[in-house]
Amino acid sequence: MTKYMVDKFMRYVELSDARVAAYVADPAAYVEGWLGAGAGAEGATDDRVLTEAERAAFAARDYAALYALGAHPYLLWHFTEAVHAHEFTPEQGWRELVERYRAGVAPQGVVDYIP
Amino acid sequence: MAELVLAAATPHNPLLWRAMRDPMPDDLAGVAANFARFRRAFAEHDVDVVVVIGTDHLRQFFYDTSPAFVVGKADSYHGTWENEVRTFGMDAVEVSGHRELADEISGRTVLPEAIDFAVSLEWRLDHSFVIPLQYVRPELDLPVVPIHTNASMPPVPSVRRFIALGEHLSRAISSWESDARVAILTSGHMANDVGGPRTFAGSPDPAFDEAAAAWMRDGDLDGAIRVCSDFERITEAGCMTYQYLNAITALAAMGRPADFVDVAESRFASSPFFLWGSR
Repeated sequence: MTKYMVDKFMRYVELSDARVAAYVADPAAYVEGWLGAGAGAEGATDDRVLTEAERAAFAARDYAALYALGAHPYLLWHFTEAVHAHEFTPEQGWRELVERYRAGVAPQGVVDYIP
Repeated sequence: MAELVLAAATPHNPLLWRAMRDPMPDDLAGVAANFARFRRAFAEHDVDVVVVIGTDHLRQFFYDTSPAFVVGKADSYHGTWENEVRTFGMDAVEVSGHRELADEISGRTVLPEAIDFAVSLEWRLDHSFVIPLQYVRPELDLPVVPIHTNASMPPVPSVRRFIALGEHLSRAISSWESDARVAILTSGHMANDVGGPRTFAGSPDPAFDEAAAAWMRDGDLDGAIRVCSDFERITEAGCMTYQYLNAITALAAMGRPADFVDVAESRFASSPFFLWGSR
Protein backbone atom coordinates (compact mmCIF):
# COMPACT_ATOMS: atom_id res chain seq x y z
CA MET A 1 0.00 0.00 0.00
CA THR A 2 1.35 3.41 -0.95
CA LYS A 3 -0.82 5.93 0.87
CA TYR A 4 1.71 8.64 0.31
CA MET A 5 1.50 8.20 -3.45
CA VAL A 6 -2.30 8.19 -3.36
CA ASP A 7 -2.20 11.51 -1.52
CA LYS A 8 0.48 12.83 -3.86
CA PHE A 9 -1.60 12.05 -6.94
CA MET A 10 -4.78 13.59 -5.51
CA ARG A 11 -2.94 16.72 -4.44
CA TYR A 12 -1.21 17.03 -7.80
CA VAL A 13 -4.47 16.86 -9.71
CA GLU A 14 -6.65 18.92 -7.39
CA LEU A 15 -4.28 21.89 -7.16
CA SER A 16 -4.65 22.68 -10.87
CA ASP A 17 -7.73 23.39 -12.99
CA ALA A 18 -5.94 22.10 -16.09
CA ARG A 19 -4.98 18.82 -14.42
CA VAL A 20 -8.51 18.31 -13.11
CA ALA A 21 -9.85 18.78 -16.63
CA ALA A 22 -7.27 16.42 -18.13
CA TYR A 23 -7.96 13.76 -15.50
CA VAL A 24 -11.75 13.81 -15.85
CA ALA A 25 -11.42 13.62 -19.64
CA ASP A 26 -9.82 10.15 -19.34
CA PRO A 27 -9.02 9.08 -15.77
CA ALA A 28 -7.32 5.78 -16.61
CA ALA A 29 -5.08 7.27 -19.26
CA TYR A 30 -4.24 10.23 -17.05
CA VAL A 31 -3.16 7.96 -14.19
CA GLU A 32 -0.89 5.96 -16.50
CA GLY A 33 0.57 9.16 -17.92
CA TRP A 34 1.24 10.53 -14.45
CA LEU A 35 2.97 7.34 -13.38
CA GLY A 36 5.27 7.52 -16.36
CA ALA A 37 6.20 11.17 -15.94
CA GLY A 38 8.12 11.13 -12.66
CA ALA A 39 11.68 12.35 -12.46
CA GLY A 40 14.50 10.00 -13.29
CA ALA A 41 17.30 9.11 -10.92
CA GLU A 42 19.18 12.31 -11.78
CA GLY A 43 16.39 14.81 -11.13
CA ALA A 44 15.00 16.14 -7.88
CA THR A 45 13.18 13.24 -6.30
CA ASP A 46 9.74 12.74 -7.84
CA ASP A 47 8.91 9.06 -7.58
CA ARG A 48 5.50 7.87 -8.74
CA VAL A 49 4.14 4.46 -7.83
CA LEU A 50 0.61 3.14 -7.39
CA THR A 51 -0.61 -0.39 -6.73
CA GLU A 52 -3.06 -2.09 -9.08
CA ALA A 53 -5.89 -1.43 -6.62
CA GLU A 54 -5.00 2.24 -6.36
CA ARG A 55 -4.75 2.64 -10.13
CA ALA A 56 -8.12 0.97 -10.57
CA ALA A 57 -9.69 3.20 -7.93
CA PHE A 58 -8.40 6.34 -9.61
CA ALA A 59 -9.45 5.09 -13.03
CA ALA A 60 -12.99 4.64 -11.67
CA ARG A 61 -13.01 7.80 -9.50
CA ASP A 62 -13.99 5.40 -6.71
CA TYR A 63 -13.83 7.54 -3.56
CA ALA A 64 -15.08 4.74 -1.31
CA ALA A 65 -12.24 2.48 -2.47
CA LEU A 66 -9.69 5.27 -2.07
CA TYR A 67 -10.94 5.92 1.44
CA ALA A 68 -10.49 2.24 2.27
CA LEU A 69 -6.98 2.37 0.84
CA GLY A 70 -6.03 5.08 3.33
CA ALA A 71 -6.36 8.30 1.33
CA HIS A 72 -6.09 11.42 3.47
CA PRO A 73 -9.75 12.34 4.11
CA TYR A 74 -9.36 16.07 3.53
CA LEU A 75 -7.53 15.57 0.24
CA LEU A 76 -9.94 12.85 -0.80
CA TRP A 77 -13.04 14.98 -0.34
CA HIS A 78 -11.64 17.93 -2.26
CA PHE A 79 -10.28 15.68 -5.00
CA THR A 80 -13.71 14.04 -5.24
CA GLU A 81 -15.49 17.38 -5.40
CA ALA A 82 -13.08 18.67 -8.05
CA VAL A 83 -13.44 15.68 -10.36
CA HIS A 84 -17.24 15.48 -10.11
CA ALA A 85 -18.15 19.18 -10.17
CA HIS A 86 -18.49 19.25 -13.97
CA GLU A 87 -21.40 16.79 -13.62
CA PHE A 88 -23.42 18.90 -11.20
CA THR A 89 -27.01 19.66 -12.19
CA PRO A 90 -29.73 21.49 -10.25
CA GLU A 91 -31.05 18.08 -9.14
CA GLN A 92 -27.69 16.36 -8.57
CA GLY A 93 -25.32 18.96 -7.22
CA TRP A 94 -22.84 19.52 -4.39
CA ARG A 95 -25.19 18.41 -1.62
CA GLU A 96 -26.07 15.17 -3.40
CA LEU A 97 -22.37 14.43 -3.96
CA VAL A 98 -21.76 14.98 -0.25
CA GLU A 99 -24.51 12.49 0.54
CA ARG A 100 -23.11 9.89 -1.87
CA TYR A 101 -19.60 10.43 -0.55
CA ARG A 102 -20.70 10.06 3.05
CA ALA A 103 -22.67 6.92 2.20
CA GLY A 104 -19.52 5.51 0.62
CA VAL A 105 -17.11 6.21 3.47
CA ALA A 106 -19.27 6.13 6.59
CA PRO A 107 -19.68 2.33 6.76
CA GLN A 108 -15.89 2.06 6.88
CA GLY A 109 -15.59 4.24 9.98
CA VAL A 110 -12.27 5.89 10.72
CA VAL A 111 -9.54 4.45 8.50
CA ASP A 112 -5.83 4.80 9.27
CA TYR A 113 -4.72 7.35 6.69
CA ILE A 114 -1.22 7.98 8.07
CA PRO A 115 1.29 7.11 5.33
CA MET B 1 9.19 47.29 23.84
CA ALA B 2 6.48 45.89 21.60
CA GLU B 3 3.14 45.03 23.13
CA LEU B 4 0.84 42.07 22.55
CA VAL B 5 -2.45 43.97 22.54
CA LEU B 6 -4.92 41.49 21.13
CA ALA B 7 -5.41 37.82 20.39
CA ALA B 8 -8.22 36.25 18.43
CA ALA B 9 -9.22 32.75 17.42
CA THR B 10 -11.66 32.40 14.54
CA PRO B 11 -12.92 29.81 12.07
CA HIS B 12 -11.32 29.71 8.64
CA ASN B 13 -14.10 27.76 6.96
CA PRO B 14 -13.66 28.76 3.30
CA LEU B 15 -17.26 27.87 2.45
CA LEU B 16 -18.22 31.05 4.28
CA TRP B 17 -16.71 33.10 1.48
CA ARG B 18 -19.58 32.34 -0.89
CA ALA B 19 -22.32 31.69 1.66
CA MET B 20 -21.92 34.66 4.03
CA ARG B 21 -23.12 37.44 1.73
CA ASP B 22 -25.94 39.95 1.86
CA PRO B 23 -28.79 39.37 2.13
CA MET B 24 -27.33 37.50 5.09
CA PRO B 25 -28.80 34.02 5.56
CA ASP B 26 -30.41 33.70 8.99
CA ASP B 27 -28.21 30.80 10.09
CA LEU B 28 -25.00 32.74 9.35
CA ALA B 29 -25.99 35.96 11.10
CA GLY B 30 -24.20 34.93 14.28
CA VAL B 31 -20.97 34.11 12.45
CA ALA B 32 -21.12 37.42 10.59
CA ALA B 33 -21.78 39.37 13.80
CA ASN B 34 -18.81 37.75 15.50
CA PHE B 35 -16.48 38.57 12.63
CA ALA B 36 -17.79 42.16 12.74
CA ARG B 37 -17.00 42.31 16.47
CA PHE B 38 -13.47 41.05 15.81
CA ARG B 39 -13.03 43.53 12.96
CA ARG B 40 -13.92 46.36 15.35
CA ALA B 41 -11.49 45.01 17.94
CA PHE B 42 -8.61 45.01 15.47
CA ALA B 43 -9.42 48.61 14.54
CA GLU B 44 -9.88 49.79 18.13
CA HIS B 45 -6.59 48.28 19.28
CA ASP B 46 -4.56 50.17 16.65
CA VAL B 47 -2.76 47.01 15.62
CA ASP B 48 0.49 47.48 13.67
CA VAL B 49 1.41 43.89 12.82
CA VAL B 50 -0.35 40.52 13.01
CA VAL B 51 1.09 37.10 13.79
CA VAL B 52 -1.26 34.83 11.84
CA ILE B 53 -1.31 31.23 13.04
CA GLY B 54 -2.97 28.71 10.79
CA THR B 55 -2.64 25.24 9.36
CA ASP B 56 -1.79 24.92 5.69
CA HIS B 57 -4.10 22.30 4.13
CA LEU B 58 -1.50 20.11 2.39
CA ARG B 59 -0.89 22.78 -0.23
CA GLN B 60 2.40 24.53 0.56
CA PHE B 61 3.50 21.83 3.00
CA PHE B 62 3.01 18.15 2.27
CA TYR B 63 4.29 14.75 3.30
CA ASP B 64 7.41 15.10 1.13
CA THR B 65 8.64 17.37 3.94
CA SER B 66 6.28 18.11 6.80
CA PRO B 67 7.58 20.56 9.41
CA ALA B 68 5.83 20.98 12.76
CA PHE B 69 5.97 24.79 12.96
CA VAL B 70 6.99 27.15 10.16
CA VAL B 71 7.66 30.87 10.56
CA GLY B 72 7.25 32.97 7.42
CA LYS B 73 10.18 35.30 6.80
CA ALA B 74 9.17 36.55 3.35
CA ASP B 75 8.81 40.24 2.51
CA SER B 76 5.42 39.50 0.95
CA TYR B 77 3.03 36.64 0.34
CA HIS B 78 0.67 35.66 -2.41
CA GLY B 79 -2.66 34.60 -1.01
CA THR B 80 -4.73 31.55 -1.87
CA TRP B 81 -4.34 28.81 -4.46
CA GLU B 82 -5.89 28.01 -7.82
CA ASN B 83 -7.94 25.19 -6.33
CA GLU B 84 -9.29 27.50 -3.60
CA VAL B 85 -10.37 30.08 -6.17
CA ARG B 86 -12.14 27.27 -8.05
CA THR B 87 -13.66 25.49 -5.09
CA PHE B 88 -14.44 28.32 -2.69
CA GLY B 89 -14.66 31.36 -4.97
CA MET B 90 -11.86 33.03 -3.03
CA ASP B 91 -9.96 36.02 -4.33
CA ALA B 92 -6.23 36.16 -4.99
CA VAL B 93 -4.62 38.60 -2.55
CA GLU B 94 -1.22 40.05 -1.69
CA VAL B 95 -0.10 40.49 1.92
CA SER B 96 3.03 42.18 3.24
CA GLY B 97 5.38 40.30 5.53
CA HIS B 98 7.25 41.58 8.57
CA ARG B 99 10.81 40.34 8.49
CA GLU B 100 11.94 41.99 11.72
CA LEU B 101 9.27 40.40 13.87
CA ALA B 102 9.73 37.09 12.07
CA ASP B 103 13.40 37.13 13.07
CA GLU B 104 12.47 37.98 16.64
CA ILE B 105 10.21 34.93 16.73
CA SER B 106 12.33 32.37 14.91
CA GLY B 107 15.75 33.66 15.83
CA ARG B 108 17.92 34.98 13.03
CA THR B 109 21.04 32.93 13.66
CA VAL B 110 20.05 30.34 16.25
CA LEU B 111 16.58 28.98 16.90
CA PRO B 112 15.03 29.77 20.29
CA GLU B 113 15.25 27.19 23.05
CA ALA B 114 11.47 26.87 23.16
CA ILE B 115 10.73 25.60 19.64
CA ASP B 116 12.72 24.18 16.74
CA PHE B 117 11.02 26.22 14.03
CA ALA B 118 11.34 25.73 10.32
CA VAL B 119 11.38 28.96 8.33
CA SER B 120 10.06 29.80 4.86
CA LEU B 121 10.92 32.66 2.53
CA GLU B 122 8.59 31.60 -0.28
CA TRP B 123 5.14 30.55 0.75
CA ARG B 124 1.70 30.86 -0.83
CA LEU B 125 -0.84 31.28 1.96
CA ASP B 126 -3.97 29.14 1.86
CA HIS B 127 -7.44 29.85 3.24
CA SER B 128 -6.32 29.13 6.79
CA PHE B 129 -4.44 32.43 6.72
CA VAL B 130 -6.34 34.44 4.10
CA ILE B 131 -9.93 33.93 5.25
CA PRO B 132 -9.46 35.10 8.87
CA LEU B 133 -7.42 38.10 7.71
CA GLN B 134 -10.02 39.08 5.14
CA TYR B 135 -12.76 39.01 7.75
CA VAL B 136 -10.96 40.82 10.60
CA ARG B 137 -9.00 43.23 8.41
CA PRO B 138 -10.58 43.45 4.95
CA GLU B 139 -8.14 46.18 3.93
CA LEU B 140 -5.27 43.67 4.23
CA ASP B 141 -3.07 46.64 5.04
CA LEU B 142 -1.23 45.22 8.05
CA PRO B 143 2.05 43.30 7.69
CA VAL B 144 1.92 39.73 8.91
CA VAL B 145 4.13 36.97 10.21
CA PRO B 146 2.42 33.72 9.22
CA ILE B 147 3.09 30.63 11.32
CA HIS B 148 2.05 27.23 10.02
CA THR B 149 1.25 24.58 12.58
CA ASN B 150 1.05 21.02 11.36
CA ALA B 151 -2.35 19.89 12.60
CA SER B 152 -3.35 17.70 9.67
CA MET B 153 -0.43 15.42 8.78
CA PRO B 154 0.41 13.08 11.66
CA PRO B 155 2.76 12.98 13.43
CA VAL B 156 1.56 16.34 14.73
CA PRO B 157 3.08 18.38 17.54
CA SER B 158 1.66 17.68 20.99
CA VAL B 159 -0.69 20.11 22.70
CA ARG B 160 2.19 21.10 24.97
CA ARG B 161 4.10 22.28 21.92
CA PHE B 162 1.18 24.46 20.83
CA ILE B 163 1.23 25.93 24.35
CA ALA B 164 5.00 26.41 24.15
CA LEU B 165 4.46 28.25 20.87
CA GLY B 166 2.01 30.65 22.49
CA GLU B 167 4.24 31.28 25.50
CA HIS B 168 7.22 31.82 23.21
CA LEU B 169 5.29 34.34 21.10
CA SER B 170 4.34 36.27 24.21
CA ARG B 171 7.98 36.44 25.31
CA ALA B 172 9.34 37.23 21.85
CA ILE B 173 6.88 40.08 21.32
CA SER B 174 7.40 41.62 24.77
CA SER B 175 11.20 41.55 24.39
CA TRP B 176 11.18 43.01 20.86
CA GLU B 177 12.71 46.48 20.86
CA SER B 178 9.91 48.19 19.01
CA ASP B 179 6.90 50.31 19.79
CA ALA B 180 4.70 48.10 17.59
CA ARG B 181 1.30 46.96 18.76
CA VAL B 182 1.05 43.28 17.91
CA ALA B 183 -1.98 41.02 17.49
CA ILE B 184 -2.13 37.24 17.30
CA LEU B 185 -4.78 35.86 14.96
CA THR B 186 -5.24 32.10 15.08
CA SER B 187 -7.76 30.04 13.22
CA GLY B 188 -9.07 26.52 13.11
CA HIS B 189 -12.17 24.55 13.91
CA MET B 190 -14.20 23.09 16.66
CA ALA B 191 -15.00 19.41 15.96
CA ASN B 192 -14.72 19.00 12.20
CA ASP B 193 -14.69 15.97 9.90
CA VAL B 194 -14.16 17.21 6.34
CA GLY B 195 -13.69 14.10 4.22
CA GLY B 196 -14.46 11.74 7.09
CA PRO B 197 -17.56 9.65 7.83
CA ARG B 198 -19.46 12.65 9.29
CA THR B 199 -18.45 15.19 6.70
CA PHE B 200 -20.72 18.22 6.27
CA ALA B 201 -23.32 16.96 8.73
CA GLY B 202 -23.10 19.65 11.41
CA SER B 203 -20.84 19.25 14.41
CA PRO B 204 -19.54 15.69 14.62
CA ASP B 205 -18.98 16.03 18.37
CA PRO B 206 -21.00 18.65 20.31
CA ALA B 207 -19.59 17.37 23.62
CA PHE B 208 -16.07 18.18 22.46
CA ASP B 209 -17.22 21.61 21.28
CA GLU B 210 -18.75 22.36 24.65
CA ALA B 211 -15.64 21.32 26.57
CA ALA B 212 -13.33 23.14 24.19
CA ALA B 213 -15.27 26.41 24.56
CA ALA B 214 -15.12 26.06 28.34
CA TRP B 215 -11.30 25.82 28.29
CA MET B 216 -11.25 29.25 26.69
CA ARG B 217 -13.95 30.71 28.95
CA ASP B 218 -12.16 29.45 32.07
CA GLY B 219 -8.56 29.84 30.89
CA ASP B 220 -8.23 26.14 31.60
CA LEU B 221 -4.99 25.03 29.96
CA ASP B 222 -4.87 21.94 32.16
CA GLY B 223 -8.27 20.84 30.89
CA ALA B 224 -7.14 21.39 27.33
CA ILE B 225 -3.97 19.40 27.94
CA ARG B 226 -5.90 16.51 29.49
CA VAL B 227 -8.15 15.98 26.49
CA CYS B 228 -5.95 17.17 23.65
CA SER B 229 -3.04 14.96 24.69
CA ASP B 230 -5.16 12.04 23.50
CA PHE B 231 -4.84 11.98 19.70
CA GLU B 232 -7.44 9.23 19.42
CA ARG B 233 -9.97 11.33 21.34
CA ILE B 234 -9.41 14.32 19.05
CA THR B 235 -9.72 12.09 15.99
CA GLU B 236 -13.01 10.71 17.35
CA ALA B 237 -14.24 14.31 17.22
CA GLY B 238 -13.36 14.48 13.51
CA CYS B 239 -10.40 14.05 11.20
CA MET B 240 -9.62 17.79 11.07
CA THR B 241 -10.41 18.65 14.70
CA TYR B 242 -6.75 18.90 15.69
CA GLN B 243 -6.72 22.38 14.15
CA TYR B 244 -8.62 23.49 17.25
CA LEU B 245 -5.22 23.47 18.97
CA ASN B 246 -4.34 26.73 17.22
CA ALA B 247 -6.78 28.41 19.61
CA ILE B 248 -4.89 26.89 22.54
CA THR B 249 -1.79 28.71 21.30
CA ALA B 250 -3.70 31.99 21.64
CA LEU B 251 -4.86 31.05 25.13
CA ALA B 252 -1.28 30.23 26.15
CA ALA B 253 0.04 33.48 24.69
CA MET B 254 -2.48 35.57 26.63
CA GLY B 255 -2.33 33.50 29.82
CA ARG B 256 -5.86 34.27 30.95
CA PRO B 257 -9.47 33.45 30.09
CA ALA B 258 -10.79 34.91 26.87
CA ASP B 259 -12.81 38.12 27.16
CA PHE B 260 -15.28 36.88 24.59
CA VAL B 261 -16.26 33.29 23.88
CA ASP B 262 -18.86 32.17 21.38
CA VAL B 263 -19.33 28.99 19.41
CA ALA B 264 -21.65 29.95 16.59
CA GLU B 265 -24.02 27.38 15.16
CA SER B 266 -24.96 27.42 11.48
CA ARG B 267 -25.36 25.04 8.53
CA PHE B 268 -21.65 24.25 9.02
CA ALA B 269 -19.76 22.61 11.85
CA SER B 270 -19.58 24.85 14.94
CA SER B 271 -17.53 28.04 14.48
CA PRO B 272 -15.11 29.12 17.24
CA PHE B 273 -14.80 32.79 18.23
CA PHE B 274 -12.46 33.60 21.13
CA LEU B 275 -11.12 37.10 21.78
CA TRP B 276 -8.63 38.60 24.21
CA GLY B 277 -8.31 42.39 24.21
CA SER B 278 -6.55 45.06 26.22
CA ARG B 279 -9.00 47.93 25.79
